[in-house]
Amino acid sequence: MRIVCPFCGERELGEFTYLGDAKPVRPVAGASEDEVFDYVYLRDNVAGETSEHWYHGGGCRAWLKVARNTLTHEISAVEPAAGAGARQAVK
Amino acid sequence: MADFSWGSRSPLEHALVAGAHGARGTEAGVSLTEIRDFDLIQVMARRGQAAELAKAAKARFGVAAPNAPKAVQTSDAILIWSGPDQFFVLSKGGKHTMQTLAPALSGPASLSDQSHARALINIAGSKARIMLAKLSSIDLHPEVFPIGSAAATSMDHTSVTLWRGDDRPDGQAVFSLLVFATFAESLWHTMLDAAAEYGVEISHSEELA
Amino acid sequence: MTSSQSHRLASGGLIDRSASLNFRFDGRTFSGFQGDTLASALIANGVKLVGRSFKYHRPRGILTAGSEEPNALVELRTGARREPNTKATTAELYEGLEAASQNRWPSLRHDVMSVNQLFAPIFVAGFYYKTFMWPAKFWEAIYEPAIRRAAGLGRAAGVADPDHYDKAWAHCDVLIAGSGPAGLVAALAAGRSGARVILCEEDFALGGRLLSDGGTIDGVPAAEWLSRTLTELAAMPDVRIMTRTTLFGVYDGGTYGAIERVNDHLPSPPEHQVRQRLWRIVAKRCVVAAGALERPIVFAGNDTPGVMMASAMRTYVARYAAAPAKRIALFTNNEDGWRTVETALGAGLQIAAVIDARPDVSAAYRSLASKGGFPVLHGSVSGVDGGKDGVRKIAVSLAGGARAEVEADGLAVSGGWNPAVGLTSYHRGRPKWRDDIAAFVPDGAPPGMVAAGAANGDFGLGACLSQGFAAGVAAARDAGHSGKAGTAPVADDEAFSLTPLWHVTGKGKAFVDYQHDVTASDIELAQREGFESVEHLKRYTTLGMATDQGKTSNVAGLAIMAAVSGRSIPETGTTIYRPPYVPVAIGAFAGHHRDETFHATRLTPSHHWAMEQGAVFVDTGLWKRAQWYPRAGEKDWLESVTREVKAVRGGVGFCDVSTLGKIDVHGPDAGAFLDRVYINTFSNLAVGKARYGLMLREDGIVYDDGTTSRLAEDHYFLTTTTAKAGLVMQHLEFCRQVLFPELDVQLTSVSDQWAQFSIAGPKTRELLKEIVDPAEDLSNEGFPFMGAREVALRGGIKARLFRISFSGEMAFEISVPARLGDAMARNLMLAGAPFGVTPYGTEALGVMRVEKGHVAGPELSGTTTAADLGLGKMMSAKKDYIGRVMAGREALVAPDRQVVVGIKPTDKARRLRSGAHIIPKGQTPGPGNDQGYVTSVCFSPTSDQWIGLGLVERGRERIGEIVHAHDPLRGEDYDVELCNPVFYDPDGGRQRG
Repeated sequence: MRIVCPFCGERELGEFTYLGDAKPVRPVAGASEDEVFDYVYLRDNVAGETSEHWYHGGGCRAWLKVARNTLTHEISAVEPAAGAGARQAVK
Repeated sequence: MADFSWGSRSPLEHALVAGAHGARGTEAGVSLTEIRDFDLIQVMARRGQAAELAKAAKARFGVAAPNAPKAVQTSDAILIWSGPDQFFVLSKGGKHTMQTLAPALSGPASLSDQSHARALINIAGSKARIMLAKLSSIDLHPEVFPIGSAAATSMDHTSVTLWRGDDRPDGQAVFSLLVFATFAESLWHTMLDAAAEYGVEISHSEELA
Repeated sequence: MTSSQSHRLASGGLIDRSASLNFRFDGRTFSGFQGDTLASALIANGVKLVGRSFKYHRPRGILTAGSEEPNALVELRTGARREPNTKATTAELYEGLEAASQNRWPSLRHDVMSVNQLFAPIFVAGFYYKTFMWPAKFWEAIYEPAIRRAAGLGRAAGVADPDHYDKAWAHCDVLIAGSGPAGLVAALAAGRSGARVILCEEDFALGGRLLSDGGTIDGVPAAEWLSRTLTELAAMPDVRIMTRTTLFGVYDGGTYGAIERVNDHLPSPPEHQVRQRLWRIVAKRCVVAAGALERPIVFAGNDTPGVMMASAMRTYVARYAAAPAKRIALFTNNEDGWRTVETALGAGLQIAAVIDARPDVSAAYRSLASKGGFPVLHGSVSGVDGGKDGVRKIAVSLAGGARAEVEADGLAVSGGWNPAVGLTSYHRGRPKWRDDIAAFVPDGAPPGMVAAGAANGDFGLGACLSQGFAAGVAAARDAGHSGKAGTAPVADDEAFSLTPLWHVTGKGKAFVDYQHDVTASDIELAQREGFESVEHLKRYTTLGMATDQGKTSNVAGLAIMAAVSGRSIPETGTTIYRPPYVPVAIGAFAGHHRDETFHATRLTPSHHWAMEQGAVFVDTGLWKRAQWYPRAGEKDWLESVTREVKAVRGGVGFCDVSTLGKIDVHGPDAGAFLDRVYINTFSNLAVGKARYGLMLREDGIVYDDGTTSRLAEDHYFLTTTTAKAGLVMQHLEFCRQVLFPELDVQLTSVSDQWAQFSIAGPKTRELLKEIVDPAEDLSNEGFPFMGAREVALRGGIKARLFRISFSGEMAFEISVPARLGDAMARNLMLAGAPFGVTPYGTEALGVMRVEKGHVAGPELSGTTTAADLGLGKMMSAKKDYIGRVMAGREALVAPDRQVVVGIKPTDKARRLRSGAHIIPKGQTPGPGNDQGYVTSVCFSPTSDQWIGLGLVERGRERIGEIVHAHDPLRGEDYDVELCNPVFYDPDGGRQRG
């Protein structure tokens, strides 16, 4: 498999580390145990297009959001994490 | 009171044996030159300050710092892209150290001294590309990786920074490699193994170019 | 003595008759020529019997001339280089080659196991499943060893492979598999268009079927066209032709696997060279021009030595000038088989008869038969009379029902051609059936891949050239290159005209899968027993599961299955295709990564100094760490380690701790950032101070620990455990980039920048005073416990000094830039000489941390909470941090959790072992009363007995209780006392003094 890092260009799988589903968003401070439980454990088992976190640890160390089809392994989009590099993000 | 000496020791001091290695009889296909005792500062833009850092870097170095995987030669340093909104300043002789760079760059950037965290190896020779193809998954074809290209990548599962500086006077391409110091001896042996069939000329140098 | 090459033709062939090569097969010496394969050389010497079959030990000869060979498998070379199951049909001949037949004892001609044939009725499909079911206890003791002795083909060398292998990457626009006419013109077209091209050819010679079948291209003989084309390709700098290279797999994203047999054609690789190289090729487009494989017809006796594929027979005659037989019969169901007759007649060989299963034969071939004076029999071969020494007589059932016999010493068989659909089917592509050629052709090929020519089911030379050329142009264009490609070479298409025939019913064994000895009746039996899915059929009968992966057998097997189940062949379908296309040596996948270079290693800055000291090293992750420093006269590691611990506790010692992960945390929000990743607070840490920190995973379980120092308002220096250094960096980057992108913080690994040493023992300060600039105040007031700051050393060097202790002793950690690490170790020896300074390794480090009750890897086991480790009080209630909410879950705060406690045997002389289970005293051990286990142990010189830490249910409430340690692994049971985990200096006076 090859992933097009938005910073480095196309690279082989070995430079990347998979983390998992990029959809769940970490609950804000003060969230209930149930909300955090869902964030930590609940995942859809998608046959088709998914959004995943991958880390380009063998390259530029950017965290990426990769849109991948679990049926074909086709990657349709790769974008940097909100806070990759010096990107300004306001929460 | 004991008399302390503080000799600097390259991470390749033990492994590097200058001279010929591997196949003999023809001109060595690969030359490996370790560059010792350099200054290497990592410059990382702070949040939202990439443009300010670019301005400050331009003012300091006279040329724009790379904002894509490139290596840029200045009058007395090489600026090498190392990731989004960050680059290395590679130089010799104390021209660009934490002390000298901080006043110019520490507003828009965080600086980290990496001078001792890497070993620097120059790779050249007619078989340099075919040898590197055993270690590197990236395409080093002259049209894909022209002079001034850089890459943050991995070799032998080890993170490296690779770039292509100016060709030698004889037209041969030169690839430069920064590898983590504690991995250096291991990668060096792997490199010798990969290069042995082409014949290797090994040396070390105090000069950057 | 060298035999005479009795079956070598007087002229012709692509062999170099001036380069004679001697070789040995089963101990006999033969000679062949440069350009021969082992198979062609054996044929030239009249050798017909080359092996014994897998199950029945039937005599077998050479069936094909390529990598699809199921029969002619040999052990190539001797000693450590002996390689079993090597195909004689692809092994290149070299001077001194040694090969031996397989699966026979005591000799190929007299094989005891051939009695298996008498028991053939029991060796049917599913034989293993049916026969060795009962009684179950016989399996391990009797059945399995017996089967292992009887089964299997060649013998592995049994010793380490002395050769080197490597791996390399290659990149191109257009990758081409195969150098037959379609592949070569694809390369030509793509190369002329300006694309970067790689062409892989598994043979050592380029040209594919052109080498055997010749023909006319653009009005010139094929050989001339070939040489012209290769010259043009060689002049293109971005076209790379790789011979002896098989494309074996297709992977996601346009990545392909290829194996190059760099030096398999030599007795041993030249110095500094590899035997084989594994290529990972990244290509924008791929043209599969891998050709087609001729398929056998299943009939009784079809495995007799001397029965050979028709195309292989003409390859041996035309390319190698070796005659597999002198009087040949042909059994064909298509026009192409007849070309073997033409070739044989051209070489002066006799044709006994052609048995053609079709109702009609073309006029041209009919006149060839009358000119050649041999009969054309309309019918099929129903039996073969012959054996070890080859074919003698062939029984023919004629179309009208009559029988005939043909005397011949060789039978060429052509059942038609199967396009090589392996590569195009590797992404679960299912080939589709084409009626006109009665074969599967590629469909649903992986993205970017097309098949051309015979691989696409179009067998004519003209079609191969036009399709290959068009595919090359299109592939180059899709990859962004559309230079002038010129026009495609032109040739005529030969007739094919096939009438399908898969199986001739008759008496005697009719083999479908030669290598696995699967017969037509096995398939019929499997169908009767209900194994109707092809995937089940394959596994039940083992059809297509041998090293040849059924290249010659699968389609015939499917056809027979279809016939007996009353379905069509496309309804029956194919099994899933998976790489590799040919067997690939494990050594090639490992490449450089074997033995000492199995993985990359990391060396500490003082590594070579420690080597000089005679240190014993231990692998911890990728690191080599000094484990202890033995001295002359010490009888074992325990004595050395005990000495080191005593030296530290009584004086001073030092240890390289550079392996800890070190991370620069920069930026205005660095403190706020650390507050979110640690359970305790760092934003309020004063500049110049260090603090111990603990991180949780988001599920509330402890992740990592370490000390973090604040070196400036906006600069923290964070340390991790050695084991988790890389993972913590990744985790922190995730926090920075994904979870908390609003925080202005920058992270850099400085693990390699600093050489860090722990200096410990009551004389630490005295040692430091020797080496630190006298102006630096190291007193308790000037440099209190958990202080951290830069200091000057004698000689003008700057170092960072941290007053932290892992040993419980008065201790500092000192770090200097890494290239000074070697000098630092030497200078510590100098500075400490007056105080008997002792370097210590990771074992002594571990002993002292257990004595002091510090938790480490065995306690941070991925199951423990902060409270389990006795660190629950560090969890700040005033802030959010990773893991906070989940750590509060009921089960994670339950009072009966297993928590860290000290453990010591009641018998002071007894050795404590980690892994021993803790059971209440007086109870019989079992899962119901297992209350925890011993996590870390050491011999404590300070306590003068073995001590340890453990995770024990309610452990902290049970201090003083005697419990039972149950160690079924070592067969040990003994009493231990639960105690305070801090065995040494519980008030901490020593480290603060």
